[in-house]
Amino acid sequence: MSLVNLAHVCSHLNNASRARLGLTSIPNSNLHLRLCLALQNSGYISSVVRGGPTPPPQHNILGVPAANDEIEGVQSLTQSNVASRRLWLGLKYWQSEPVLGKLSMVSKPKRRINIDVTGLRRVIRGEKSGYVEGLRSPGESLYLSTDRGILEARECVEKQVGGLVLCRIH
Amino acid sequence: MSLTRPARCLICSFSRGASAATRVPRRQFHPSPAQLANRKPKFPNVKAKDSMTLDELSQNMQPHHFQPYTEEQKAGLKEEYTPEQLAAIEAGEAAIDPKDMAEQFGIREDPFRLNYLDDLSTIEPNVDHHIRAPKSNSDYSATFKSDEDFLDDFARFFAELPEDGGASDWVRFVDNARVTLGKEESERNPHSVLVPDLFAPGETLSDDNKKIVTPFMLQKQSAANAENEEMTDALKRLLQSTGYSSAFVKTLSTKALVSHFVVNQTRLGKVRRMYCLSIAGNGDGLLGIGEAKSEESADAVLQSRYRAIRNMQPIPRYENRTIFGDVEGKVGATELKLMTRPPGFGLRCQHLIFEMCRAAGIQDLAARVGRSRNPMNTVKAAYEALMGQRNPEDIARARGKKLVDVRKVYYSGRELPKKSLTIRAPAAEVPATGEKQLTA
Repeated sequence: MSLVNLAHVCSHLNNASRARLGLTSIPNSNLHLRLCLALQNSGYISSVVRGGPTPPPQHNILGVPAANDEIEGVQSLTQSNVASRRLWLGLKYWQSEPVLGKLSMVSKPKRRINIDVTGLRRVIRGEKSGYVEGLRSPGESLYLSTDRGILEARECVEKQVGGLVLCRIH
Repeated sequence: MSLTRPARCLICSFSRGASAATRVPRRQFHPSPAQLANRKPKFPNVKAKDSMTLDELSQNMQPHHFQPYTEEQKAGLKEEYTPEQLAAIEAGEAAIDPKDMAEQFGIREDPFRLNYLDDLSTIEPNVDHHIRAPKSNSDYSATFKSDEDFLDDFARFFAELPEDGGASDWVRFVDNARVTLGKEESERNPHSVLVPDLFAPGETLSDDNKKIVTPFMLQKQSAANAENEEMTDALKRLLQSTGYSSAFVKTLSTKALVSHFVVNQTRLGKVRRMYCLSIAGNGDGLLGIGEAKSEESADAVLQSRYRAIRNMQPIPRYENRTIFGDVEGKVGATELKLMTRPPGFGLRCQHLIFEMCRAAGIQDLAARVGRSRNPMNTVKAAYEALMGQRNPEDIARARGKKLVDVRKVYYSGRELPKKSLTIRAPAAEVPATGEKQLTA
């Protein structure tokens, strides 16, 4: 689990959404994929598709590559192509503002921050816990890497798991 | 948040009116029992063992359930119907075989059947479209009756009054008297239920638009006269460009927050001018800032005030008392952070931001001003921060998620009556705006 690469992803997504790009790509890794799926689940990004160095073909109707495209399909992951795979993300905009606001790392490569459920309860109520600032604005999210995959902070509290705090969106 | 509320038909007057009380039972976040709107059950309690399912009903129908009328029932029918009608009823009964009745008894088996028992003979306002009078009922050329018409009506009433007529005839006449000339349906059963009432509340036909003049009004009038005298060109232009009335502008709270001299160095020497920055607000969500420069200080103050009034814009407020989440603003080297706070917290911030919040009608707020604390930039940055709040509804729409305000979970989703309750805010205030998957 390389937090260096994750930090690069965060700043790349910040740059891409400031440039109002509709589609962007990040290096493929299990961590990135899980995080992107969590972001998609929260509605921050519109699509996550694993493809090659060039953008995968667009879905006929959606206009962005889709993982469940029946016509184009998705290339399978093999040992020969795994190194060249990238994740292609569809970015969302609403009223000409990016839906994915500012992504910032909480854990750093040199200082990983873990948090337990008690601390997380405080955080989602807007209070500070340890090194983690509270979620004080509407629509703010915090993503954690837990035993049960990458989850949003509120999901973690619901499932009573703590974990490594990855990044925050606001 | 309107997203959490189902849309209701605005036109349909028979749909239940929007009320603050929740109808859908929700998950409870508190141990006290939920208070339902009406505790008395509307329908008698039916035990499961006493009731029959639709399948049982349809299976158990036998020809012997459809017996011809007994003598007693016939005697009862005789009281209601004429002999001809009775003969028609009996002929109809005899024409239908009880076996057919049992087979065709109206509980449908097809896949498109209703999942509840209903013969669709009555109109349920909650389920069915309500019946609206046809458009042809409208009469656009209808006019009010004149005094003469009313006199004619009275004359006709007295002429047609039977000899033993009494108060009941009079009441019936008054109830049924029409006030318009034209199509009768247009008055009695109009096409749209949204047609405004003929009379405003308290207004009657005999009302002569009498105005009661009180000493207080006299006083106000004289004040208004005084105002007219001091109506300047600048004020006139302000009223014209904004569309506000002078009375409204009088009610606005304006304040000059920053003023100092600025100097322009020309080859003729230094030209000193007064700089002024003012704020204006109506104490209920509107706030504007304006700045002006002039040789005369009074002129600069006035100009900046008018510009502030011109620039007034609505500021998003949570529960009309604080802001949505924490917001940051930056102008030049001034960086500040405004923080949302629970009810009763007050305005714990420096005086410039305090004045702005007071003008805008924000009561609970904390602020930190970092780096430079230049007054002019502080005001501008605070204004930028207040305008930069993100609306939760927009966030919900952008992400396609349903956002629920956890604070509204208490008191069964009702807003707190203003200032009647002084409770500590639950810890889960704005920040803990929970997120749920949009299921509806």
